[in-house]
Amino acid sequence: MKKIASLILILISFFHSSDSNAQDAREFVERIAKKFRLVHDYQADATIRIDIPFIKMMPVHATVYFQQPDLLKVKSKGIAILPKQGFDQMLHLLADTLNYSAMLQSTQKENGKLQTIVNLIPISDSSDLILAKLWIDQDAQLLTKAQLTTKTNGTIVSEYRYGAQSKYALPDSIIFTIDTRKFKIPKAVSADINTNSDRTPEGDKEKKKGKITVRIEHYVLNKGIPAEIFKGKNKENEE
Amino acid sequence: MFLKLTWIEIQKIAAKPRSYIGMIVITVIVLVILLAMKADGTSYIKFVTQSVEQSFLVEGKILNGYLVCFIILQTLIIQIPLLVALITGDAISGEAGAGTLRFLLTKPVSRGSIIMSKYCAGSLYTLGLVIWLGILALGGGLLLFGPGDLVVIKSEEIIILQSSDVFWRFMLAIALAFLALSLVGALSMLLSCFTDNSIGPIIITMAIIILFTIIGTLDVPIFDHVKPFLFTTHMIVWRSLFERPLPMHDIMCSIWILLGHTIVFLAIALIYFRKKDILS
Repeated sequence: MKKIASLILILISFFHSSDSNAQDAREFVERIAKKFRLVHDYQADATIRIDIPFIKMMPVHATVYFQQPDLLKVKSKGIAILPKQGFDQMLHLLADTLNYSAMLQSTQKENGKLQTIVNLIPISDSSDLILAKLWIDQDAQLLTKAQLTTKTNGTIVSEYRYGAQSKYALPDSIIFTIDTRKFKIPKAVSADINTNSDRTPEGDKEKKKGKITVRIEHYVLNKGIPAEIFKGKNKENEE
Repeated sequence: MFLKLTWIEIQKIAAKPRSYIGMIVITVIVLVILLAMKADGTSYIKFVTQSVEQSFLVEGKILNGYLVCFIILQTLIIQIPLLVALITGDAISGEAGAGTLRFLLTKPVSRGSIIMSKYCAGSLYTLGLVIWLGILALGGGLLLFGPGDLVVIKSEEIIILQSSDVFWRFMLAIALAFLALSLVGALSMLLSCFTDNSIGPIIITMAIIILFTIIGTLDVPIFDHVKPFLFTTHMIVWRSLFERPLPMHDIMCSIWILLGHTIVFLAIALIYFRKKDILS
């Protein structure tokens, strides 16, 4: 009888601890989301620097518009390139925390700060996101790093740096690190004649990483954004 | 005397109906491309950029006047040398065939002056052709699509140039295209010295250009060592002006090779023509 009682106790404590683990993890994410919800809308200047092996371009200046819960628009005079997943994927995550099951993975010290690692797994099978791993600064209650694994574009790591707008969980800069596939289109299409191709076999090639750094400054918070700004929405939001 | 001779040669070119074929062909091709891009350019751009758009969100106007002009310039790479050869390939052999060359050589001018004046007149025609192409492609493109950042799509990389950094590149590209076409003029004029009918030099010039271009396009390792020695490799040097950073060494190297070929072709033509027995 004693044995059965102790087994029941162990089982209860196990389920209780895993339940409280999920509860804690959700709380960590919810705290950041709460901070972020203080901002109804914002407009900010962004400088986008591309460091991707097959793309050569100068830094681009753009304006970022955001409205709760997840409306995002990037407008630039010229051509701007952003990672398809990653830039506003976090906005979707923070806007709808109930659509993901949260789990505490571990805590670790990075740059002298205690970081809690939380895993988010989407409840829906149809979601493009497979797993989101979030590094959360416990003291500042800020997201410092996120690793998003998606079905379509592999893994995207984004690192967040904060400044004056940290109380709203708005970063000053985001550095995206992405796996880049080799870019290749037929020479007939590009009319790229009389050039030699890179003939290194696919298997021999080092998997290359690309970096996109977005520096965001001059935030204008909660001043309202005309609805027409979001009318020609970015493709990611359309899908 | 040389200027007068050149002026006479220009008048001869202007009097030939075939001289206007080039202008008409360029006008039609450019207008067709402009209208096609206006009607369905977005699908074309989507097809070319689809592999990038799988991973990246591309914000901004990709289809603009500069891109359309760039597409037109690279589409006409193969055709324009033919239009130049139509005129320069006929310069000596046409007169020989018509029997006016012997009469021309009775005038108190050196054979060298005759060759050089014909080459200069042919080059001026080429310059007119290239400027007309530039006005139509760039002017028409900007008028229909407006300016914007230029996306240069190469087979293995994409270069994005800011709108303010593009116009001068097109101006220099047109100058380099003129240099490359002057080489075609020199080659066809050299071939023109050897025959008495104008079809031969035109066809041989085009055959050489097509052969070299095919060798340059084939992605076979054995041709990698041959490609730098083909003048067609350097004829597309204008494309290097749309790279970042600018490959100055390669551009200068190609310019010298183009100039060298032109000088060699002209020198051979001069030497041969000076000693040639004019029988017709």
